[in-house]
Amino acid sequence: MKKYTLHWAVPLLLILMLLPFLWLLQMSFKPTPLILEFPPQLFFTPTLEHYVGLWKDGFPESFVNSLITSTISTALALLMGVPAAYALSRWSGPGKFGLGLGILLTRMAPPIAFTIPFFLAYRWLGLLDTRTGLILIYMTFNLPLVIWMMQPFFDAVPASLEEAALMDGAGFPTVFAEIVLPVASAGIAATAILCFLYAWNDFFFALILTRTDARTAPVAVVNFMNYEGWEWGKIAAGGSLVMAPVLVFSLLVRRYLVSGLTAGAVKG
Amino acid sequence: MTPKLAAIPLSRRTLLKQAAGVTAGATLGMPAIAQSKPFAGLKLRGAAYQHGFFNHLKKYIPEFEAATGMTVDLQLSAFPVYNQQADLELSSGGSAWDFCNVTFILAARWISAGLLSNLDDFSGDRKLTPASWNPDDFVKGAQVPYVDKDGKTYGYSWEGGAMLMGISRMDLMKKRGLSVPRTFDDLMKVADGIHGQQDVTGFVSSNLHHWFLPPYIHGFGGDLFANPPGDIRPTLDSAAAVQAVDYYGRLLSKYSPQGVLGYTEDQARAALLGGRSNIFIHSSSWVTAMLTSPDSKVEETALVTRMPVGPKGDFPAANSQGLGIPKNAKNKEAAWAFIQWALSPELTARIVKDTGHASICRRSVIESAEYKRLNTINGQDIGKLYLDVLQQPAVGRNYMAYRTVKEFPLMGDVVNKAVERVVSGQMPAAESMRVAQEAALSSLRRSGAKV
Amino acid sequence: MALASYESQRRRFARQAFAPSLLFLILVAGLPTLFLIITSLTPAALVNPGSLTDFSEPFRNYTLLLSDERFVGSLWVQAKLSFYTVTMQVLIGTSMALLVHAGQGRWQSLRHLFVIPMVLPPIVVAVIWKLIYTPDISPIYRAAKALGIVLPSLTTHVDFALWAIVIADTWEWAPFTFLMVLAALQTLPSEYVEAARMDGADTMGVFLHIVLPYIAPVLLVCTLFRVIDSIKAFPLIFLLTGGGPGSVTEVTNYYAYLVAFNFGELGYSSAITVVLLSLTVLISWAAMRASRSNQSIE
Repeated sequence: MKKYTLHWAVPLLLILMLLPFLWLLQMSFKPTPLILEFPPQLFFTPTLEHYVGLWKDGFPESFVNSLITSTISTALALLMGVPAAYALSRWSGPGKFGLGLGILLTRMAPPIAFTIPFFLAYRWLGLLDTRTGLILIYMTFNLPLVIWMMQPFFDAVPASLEEAALMDGAGFPTVFAEIVLPVASAGIAATAILCFLYAWNDFFFALILTRTDARTAPVAVVNFMNYEGWEWGKIAAGGSLVMAPVLVFSLLVRRYLVSGLTAGAVKG
Repeated sequence: MTPKLAAIPLSRRTLLKQAAGVTAGATLGMPAIAQSKPFAGLKLRGAAYQHGFFNHLKKYIPEFEAATGMTVDLQLSAFPVYNQQADLELSSGGSAWDFCNVTFILAARWISAGLLSNLDDFSGDRKLTPASWNPDDFVKGAQVPYVDKDGKTYGYSWEGGAMLMGISRMDLMKKRGLSVPRTFDDLMKVADGIHGQQDVTGFVSSNLHHWFLPPYIHGFGGDLFANPPGDIRPTLDSAAAVQAVDYYGRLLSKYSPQGVLGYTEDQARAALLGGRSNIFIHSSSWVTAMLTSPDSKVEETALVTRMPVGPKGDFPAANSQGLGIPKNAKNKEAAWAFIQWALSPELTARIVKDTGHASICRRSVIESAEYKRLNTINGQDIGKLYLDVLQQPAVGRNYMAYRTVKEFPLMGDVVNKAVERVVSGQMPAAESMRVAQEAALSSLRRSGAKV
Repeated sequence: MALASYESQRRRFARQAFAPSLLFLILVAGLPTLFLIITSLTPAALVNPGSLTDFSEPFRNYTLLLSDERFVGSLWVQAKLSFYTVTMQVLIGTSMALLVHAGQGRWQSLRHLFVIPMVLPPIVVAVIWKLIYTPDISPIYRAAKALGIVLPSLTTHVDFALWAIVIADTWEWAPFTFLMVLAALQTLPSEYVEAARMDGADTMGVFLHIVLPYIAPVLLVCTLFRVIDSIKAFPLIFLLTGGGPGSVTEVTNYYAYLVAFNFGELGYSSAITVVLLSLTVLISWAAMRASRSNQSIE
C-alpha cells in the first residue's frame, strides 16, 4: 500500500513543483481580460497577441543582443579555456589547488564585485552599452566555468592514449587536437551549452552596463513593468520567450547538466 | 501625393514641397529659415520614461522629422529603470543622449553637479527661438526644480504633477452621510466611514512615500530639512514629522488594500478606477483618469477636488518633469530644436485638443477657452484645480524647496523606509523617524554635506 | 629517456595552453578585483570628479561601515536568508532525491524535468513569483479569498517578507541538492542496505545509519556551494521586495547595489563589496577543500 502511494508521489510532486512555471507559460497565451478572471479558466482559446505586442516593442533587438553576447562569449571561453583545462589537468606541479581556488572564486564572487570596476573602466573606454562590453565581462564567469568543467573530462583521458601517439612521432599540439579533443567532445558540447546558459541568464551585468543599444532580453522583460500599467500578458510572454532557449538547450544536454550545474562536483 | 500634385511638372513639385516644409516649420513654431531641412541626415537620440505624454508626442514626431530632416530616436524605459540609467549616464558625463527627461527627484542633483546645459543660451537666442515661444509662459511652480539659485534654466517642464484628491465612490459617501473631507481629521473620519463598505477600502496609495508624505509633514507644521535649500539639516524627528508619519501610516495600514506597501502607482490607480478604493491623493493625471479613462468604472460617482488642509496650512505637493540637454550632448542645437518644438505653445495646444492630455505646463494653454472646455468634466473645472495647485509653491513660501536640495534622493530613500517600517508594524512612528533621522544624518555626512 | 623528454614537451605545451587563459583572467578578473580594493579606499562618487583619486583618508569607508546600522543589519539579514534558504533547499532536495531513488529507476527520465527551476533565468523566476505574490492577480490569493480567508500580502509583511524570498529561492534551487544527492544515492551499494535490513533495521534505521553517513560528504559540499550562491541573491529581492518593507529583506549584496548605483557612492559600495568578497573567499576555500577531498575518496 505504501509502495503504491509512493508510486505516484514522484510525478505528482513534479507537477506541483512545475506549477508556477506552467502558470506563467499559460498566462502568456491567455487573452488579457481572462488573465484577471477568477476562477482561472483552464481551457481557453490561446492568443498570440502578447507575443506580437512584444515584437513591436523592441523586444527582438534585446533578444538578438542576448543571442550575440551569449554565443560569442561562449566561443571565446571555449577557445581559451579548453586548452587551459587540458594543461591544468596534466599539471602535477605546485599551485594546482591555489589556481583552482582562484578560478572557483571568479565564478563564485558576487557580480557587483566586478560591476563596479568594470563600470568605471567602461566609462573611460567607451564600452558602456556595447555588446563587446558585455562579452568581456561574461568571460569573468564563462572562462573559469570552462576550465573547471573540462578539467575532469581531460583527467578521464588516459595518458597512455597520448603516449601511443607521441611514440609515433606526433607533436603535442597534434596529439591534443586529434586524440584528446575528440574523446572529450561530449564534455565540450555540454560545457558550451552551460556557458551559453549562464551568459543568457545574466541580469545584473546587463542591468548596470547597458542602456538601450545593448540591452539584453532579461532586462527587457523587466522594462515591461510599466509606469502606466502592468501588462501582465506581455510580461508572461516576455518571460516565456526569455526562458525558451535555455529550456531547449538544457533538454539537449541533460546528461551533462548535473555535472555542469553542480560545478563538477557530481558526475552526470 | 494627391493627383493634383502629380500632374504638376517636377521642378514646381519640388518647389512646392520645399515651401510646404518651410511653412510646416513655421506652423510648428520654428523660425522661417531660408533653407528647409536644416538638420538633414542627423540622428537625434533622446531618452525618457514611459508616460502617456511621450506616446502622444511620438505621433507628431514624423512631422518634425519631415520639417527638419533629422530622425528622432526616443527611447523609453520604465520609470525606475530610466532614473537609474539616466543618473548613471549623466553622472559619468556621457554623451549618448542629446536630450533627456530631467526627473524632478534628480533635477537638483544634476543641476548642482553641472551635468545639464544651460537652456537660457538657446531660449534667448533669437536665431534659434522666436519670441513667441516665451519661456515665461511656463507655470512658475512647475519650473522651480529646473532653475538654479542664479535663475538659470536647465529644463523646461512637459508635465505638471499637481496633487489632487480623487474620490471614486461619492455614491457610498452620500449613503453614509459623509461630505467631502476638507481637513486631515475629516479625511481620517471619511476613510474610516467608507472602509469595508461593499468591499471598498477607504484609501489607497503607492510606494512613493517620498512624494506622498511631505504634504502631511507640511500640513502639521514641519518640513524635511530645516530651511531648504540653504540649511539642509534633516528634521525628520520633529514632532510635526512624527505626527505626519503616524497619520499617513494609519491611512495605509488601516484603510488601504492588502499589500499597499508594494503597490505601484498604476496598481493604486487601478484600484481607484475600479471603485475598489475610495480616495487616492496623487498628481492630477492619475486621479482625473477616473473621469477620462475608458477603463474607469466610476465615471458617474467620481469627484476630483483639492486635498484636505492640515492644521498648519494647505501644502499640496506640486512636481514636474522636464526636458533638458546633457552637458556633453553632441547635437545641442538639434536637441534644442526638438525641445522647442515639443514644448511649443502651438504643439501643446494641439496635443491638448487632439488627445485631451491635460497635465501640460504652459499657462497660456491652461487658461485658454479650449482647455477649459475640455477639462470641465461632470461640471468639475479640473483645469482650474490643476493650475491653482501648480502655482501654489510660487505664491507663499516655497514649500517644495525640499526637492531642490541635491541630496534629496538620499532623503527620499530614508523617508520611504521610515514609512514602510511604520505601516508594516515594525516600529511606532516616533521611533521610526528617530532611526530615519540618524540614517539621514549619516547618509548626508557620508556624501559630504555639512550637517 | 624518451619519457623524460615527453615530460618536458608536455610541460611546455601545458604552459602555452594555459598562458592565454591565465593572462585573460588576470586582465578581466584579477585587475578589476585590485581596482575594487583601491576604489574602496577612496570616497569615489560619480558626481565628484576628483573623488576617484582621493586617498587622503583611505580607511574612512571601512570605519563608516562599522557604525553603519544599515550595513550591519544587512549582514544579519544575509545570515538569516542564507540559513533559512540553504536549510530548506537541502531538506527538500534530499527528500525529493530519496523519494525518486525509492522509485528504483522508474522515474529516472523525469529527473531532468526537476531541473527546470534551476535553469530558468533568475529574473524569470522572480517574475513568476512576483505574480504569485501579488494579491490582485495571484490565483492563490483569489482562491483564499473565495474560501473566505484573507491572506496577508507576504512581500510587504514584516514577518513574512523574508520567508517569501526563501520560498521562491528554495523553489529555484532545491533541484541542485536533489541532483547531487540523487547521484550519490545511486552509487550507494545496495548490499549495505540489504545487510542492514537482514540485521532487522527498519527504514528509519537504514536511513540514519547507512544512507545519511554515506551522503553526508555530498551534503556538506552542497551546503557550502549553496551558501556561496545565496550571498549573490539579487533578482528575487530586486523584483519582489526592493529590500523592504523597511530593510527586512535588504541583504548586503542588495545594499551594495543601492549604494553604488542608486546613490552613486562607488567608493563606499566598493568597501561593502570587499567585505562580501572576503566572506565568499573563506567559504569558497572551505567548499573546495571539501569537494576535492570528496573526489579523492571516490
